[in-house]
Amino acid sequence: MASSSTPGGGGAVPQHRSVASIRSPHHHTSGSSNPSTPHRPIHSNFGSPSSLRADEDIIIIELGTRKLQVGFAGDAAPRGCVWFGPEQLRRVGDFRDWSPEYKFDWRKTKDSWGRDHELWDYDVRGNDLGLIGDKIERALRDAYTKYMLIDSRPRRMVCVLPSGLPIPVLSAALDSLFSRFQPPTISLLSSSIALTVGAGVRSSLIIDLGWRETVVTGVYEYREMNCNRSIRGGKLLAERTHNLLAKHLSNAEKKEENGEKIDYQLSFEECNDIATRLVWCKSNQQSTKTAETSSEGLPTLHEQDESEPPTPAADEKTSTVSIPLRSYKKPVTLELPWDALAEPAEDAFFDSQYSAQSFDDHELPLHLLVYRSLLQLPLDARALCMSRIIFTGGCSSVLGLRSRIVDEVMKLVQVIGWDGVVGKGVEQTRANPKIKPKGVRPVASTTASTATRSPSSAGPGVDEELDGVWHDAANALMEVDPIEEQLKRGRDNRPVFQGKMRAIESVGAWSGASLVAQLKASPVSTIDREIWLQHGAAGASKAGEVDQKSSRQSLGAGGLIRGSASGASWTLGVWGAN
Amino acid sequence: MAPLEPYTYIQCPCSDFSPLGQPADASSPTSAEEEEEEHTFDPRAPRSNFGLYPLEYLLYCEDCHQIRCPRCVAEEIVTYYCPSCLFEVPSSNLKSEGNRCTRSCFQCPICIGPLSVTSLESAPPDPNLLSPDQGGIPHTTYCLTCSYCNWSSTEIGIRFDKPNSIHAQLAKIRNGGETRLTAKERKERRKELSSHRGGGHAAAVAAAAAAAAASEEAEVVDLETQFANLKSFYNRQLADPNASENSLSTLGDLGFSSPSSLSRIMNLYTGGRLNDTRTKSRLGIMREAYTPSEGLLVANLDESDAIAKLHQTTLEDTSSMDQLMAQPPNLGEPQLHGEACFASSLRPIPYLLRTKRSKRCPVCRHIISKPEAKIQNTRFRIRLVAGSYMPSISIKRLSLPGANGSSSSLVAGDFLEPFKPVHFVLTFKNPIFEPLKVTLGTPAKTPGRFPSKVTVLCPTFDIDANTDVWDEALKDNDRESSVRNTDGSGSSSRRQRAGTVGESGQFQVEAGKVWGRGRNWVSIVVEVVPASLQLRNKDDVLKEDEDILEIPMFVRIEWEVEGGGDDDVSGQSAAGRSGAGTGEQKEKRELAYWCVLGLGRIKQ
Repeated sequence: MASSSTPGGGGAVPQHRSVASIRSPHHHTSGSSNPSTPHRPIHSNFGSPSSLRADEDIIIIELGTRKLQVGFAGDAAPRGCVWFGPEQLRRVGDFRDWSPEYKFDWRKTKDSWGRDHELWDYDVRGNDLGLIGDKIERALRDAYTKYMLIDSRPRRMVCVLPSGLPIPVLSAALDSLFSRFQPPTISLLSSSIALTVGAGVRSSLIIDLGWRETVVTGVYEYREMNCNRSIRGGKLLAERTHNLLAKHLSNAEKKEENGEKIDYQLSFEECNDIATRLVWCKSNQQSTKTAETSSEGLPTLHEQDESEPPTPAADEKTSTVSIPLRSYKKPVTLELPWDALAEPAEDAFFDSQYSAQSFDDHELPLHLLVYRSLLQLPLDARALCMSRIIFTGGCSSVLGLRSRIVDEVMKLVQVIGWDGVVGKGVEQTRANPKIKPKGVRPVASTTASTATRSPSSAGPGVDEELDGVWHDAANALMEVDPIEEQLKRGRDNRPVFQGKMRAIESVGAWSGASLVAQLKASPVSTIDREIWLQHGAAGASKAGEVDQKSSRQSLGAGGLIRGSASGASWTLGVWGAN
Repeated sequence: MAPLEPYTYIQCPCSDFSPLGQPADASSPTSAEEEEEEHTFDPRAPRSNFGLYPLEYLLYCEDCHQIRCPRCVAEEIVTYYCPSCLFEVPSSNLKSEGNRCTRSCFQCPICIGPLSVTSLESAPPDPNLLSPDQGGIPHTTYCLTCSYCNWSSTEIGIRFDKPNSIHAQLAKIRNGGETRLTAKERKERRKELSSHRGGGHAAAVAAAAAAAAASEEAEVVDLETQFANLKSFYNRQLADPNASENSLSTLGDLGFSSPSSLSRIMNLYTGGRLNDTRTKSRLGIMREAYTPSEGLLVANLDESDAIAKLHQTTLEDTSSMDQLMAQPPNLGEPQLHGEACFASSLRPIPYLLRTKRSKRCPVCRHIISKPEAKIQNTRFRIRLVAGSYMPSISIKRLSLPGANGSSSSLVAGDFLEPFKPVHFVLTFKNPIFEPLKVTLGTPAKTPGRFPSKVTVLCPTFDIDANTDVWDEALKDNDRESSVRNTDGSGSSSRRQRAGTVGESGQFQVEAGKVWGRGRNWVSIVVEVVPASLQLRNKDDVLKEDEDILEIPMFVRIEWEVEGGGDDDVSGQSAAGRSGAGTGEQKEKRELAYWCVLGLGRIKQ
């Protein structure tokens, strides 16, 4: 950095050399108090406008566990979507899939049931990372020829990735992209941020009902605050669907199913197909009616149930769905009661027959997962995030699942409030008014108020009242915070919708990234090809060490224009955080 | 199980197998093992499938003398066209109109068969309409029908008024027949509204826009509209960060003279001590979207209708994974979530456009393949296929007659008996005009779970040049001493004599000698002892194709060319007097690659 700033309008620097004078002939730098800028390498913030060239198309790649979406920045939807599958693993020129006598024998790949349909496994132990690179390359090449219809000239890329991607996998993916497609730069964008942008908000709670796992990410002001995950995802749903079908198939044979290792009787393809086509999720009321189990952590609300009119359950119970199955030992048509088709989703996502205490951290039911994520968020962030819930991922297409999650979380909040402490002691404290700390309202009476908090009056104060912990702060006078005041000045004064559960729609991670790229907002992590090929992932510095001023992730004006990775330090952003 | 046709796959040298991503992991047992085996190529490793190609898929760069596979060529696009109507699409359309045919070419969403436009004799809704003043012609509508599975677009409630430009009509109809505004129309309408009411006053314009937004709220905001709304919202936010306070447009404000950028530069220097309020307000200024017209869309979580609908339907009325994967992104609907699984939400698939591509060597930029630009023409102007530069390998199972008199029952592709030695004849054919020196290498045991023993009986040999057939025939008349090589059936008897030792009518294979030799080919014998496919554990399953006996083979060919000379002339002369090229400077070339020979299935 040039440390010596020359005073005066054009004292040391000749007038004709001054960069500033190029754009506007007259200086309105007020007197000598403001120093003029010496001639120096232009900071990337003020990089040459050539980086604004509109015709340069940026390719956006969204990588997921099961599919890859590609398109141009600025488009509303990806041009193409390539699913990973076993046929992709075949050699070129192997046309057996089209051969009439060929029949894919899934039993031969029994031990990798469904794994051929995945791109990566987050558990990288014993995995061939090169294979991930190969898969990405082939899928992207497919997409280039089939959907993108572009030549192989190098283009800048933006990768939309889940933020939990392990560095070895990320590194394999980047290696493959850099060495095979020669992009000058690849920018990394976290999918939760992209989704937030795609919904038009700055804070959100992303519930990604993905394939391998469900990830709940709290995003506050375009920053990921916390991230909780549970293995309850699409894969578990497919397995549970298989178990359901297998159970009904073997009913006649009276074969008992036991043990951890599933003995697969049906192909993954068929189970997955049925899981996407027929499996649905019961609503809150329906499920509490059938599974009348009250645990300590999850007492059911009886009075609410009774108020609901009985749904046409009697009618539904009787009806059946016939499912032709072809991958069984012999082709068979299975008659399943309609209600049974809700079981896989129930088991895979909620497991409500067990108490909340019986789950490990990695297999929390979804409503608990969402609740915990919200609980972990700071108060004001929680208020914002809970009214900006974005559902995404393949399993969000399970009918009824989204509303069920929201209902379950609301029920939890009504019962235990925003209090992480559960247990018998707390229950007793709550039940006994004598031991109750002063000033706390009985929680049971707040059931209605949680849901009906009006958006206009909602603020930190309201939340604190309900919280039951910070009761004294509500009575205290508001301190005047100068920074807060300054921040407020910039905002417009419309009330911010907060404090109420609300789900919003996002155009999707890919489209969000397309918006980001089109607006020329610069991602935290932009990797130069040359630097990557020299150093690899080891060359990345921590996100904090890189000059963040030049690469703010916020969509504010500060991060508007930026060239490629400036200087030597670059980062992998959230991916290289540890 | 179907018997196997023997096959050859070639691994392009561009695919390296260095373990990606983990240089620190070099001491792991797997890589050490690999080094020990001197990188024996395992055709069964999952990664190998990505680098193996049949010979026909490979190209060859004449200047770099290297194989070029589809992974290591640089492509350029010659033309874009629709595979259905063979209509050429200019490249400018591609950016604006997308990657699909915008005429009337559609695929069936159920079976991907081509759809055709058929007229519907729609029953007149009102008999009065059939009165003579209508001209006796009932209002005909059109629909798309599939001639294969009889699907019709009426099933999703879509009818067309005109038989042409279906794509444009379809863009305006939602499933169920509801019309929708396209993005362009929406924009025009908005403009109309604002110009209608706005009298130059900014507030009035805003009010008009709000009114328009309010009227639009009733409508379904589809994905395309939401995206457009978001885009314009963000653009507004960025362009005019503080609508009232300062009207500094960020883009026009790049000059260093403006006070705000100066103060910001100072900010960079001093690390934020000069925190003036304007900078602050500019950075934290972007608000979130509030209304649907700004892109905020509250999700409708109540899916009980859809569940009820699912309850009513059968499996056939929902769409399978394959059908969903074939669907282009449906921008005309809001996020469908679960409702996408109904067959009624499928839409006809416009044909994806295709391209003709010319290919260049990525190293020397020479064109190695260039198709004719005309779509109807399938020829190539330039096509340097690898088959005309490197020897092809054909595999035949050798049945030795005479040993017990009954071995002739062997059919090509018959199953291989475990532990029973089998012989295969590999015939190498030289396509170039130089004699080749071929060296083969195979591991003694095939990699994988079931190692079979492999012995190449003659790993080093020469192949004569590929000379003109007539040239050779004429030469035969001159010198009958070099009789070995005429083409066709006449050579077969000689070939047997040349390669075997005939003792008491039996044919034997002999190590170190070629089995047969012809004008530009040489055949050698490989002896294989197939392994047994006994699984060690009961739980193990034989994987797909694991019963195929595949041997990896490293092929190295060397040849000499006249340095700088014309290839055709020198090639012929050099072949005529083999090894007679004296005095002239010769350039030695070599090509080495792994290939995989699939010999047959082992009997289980």
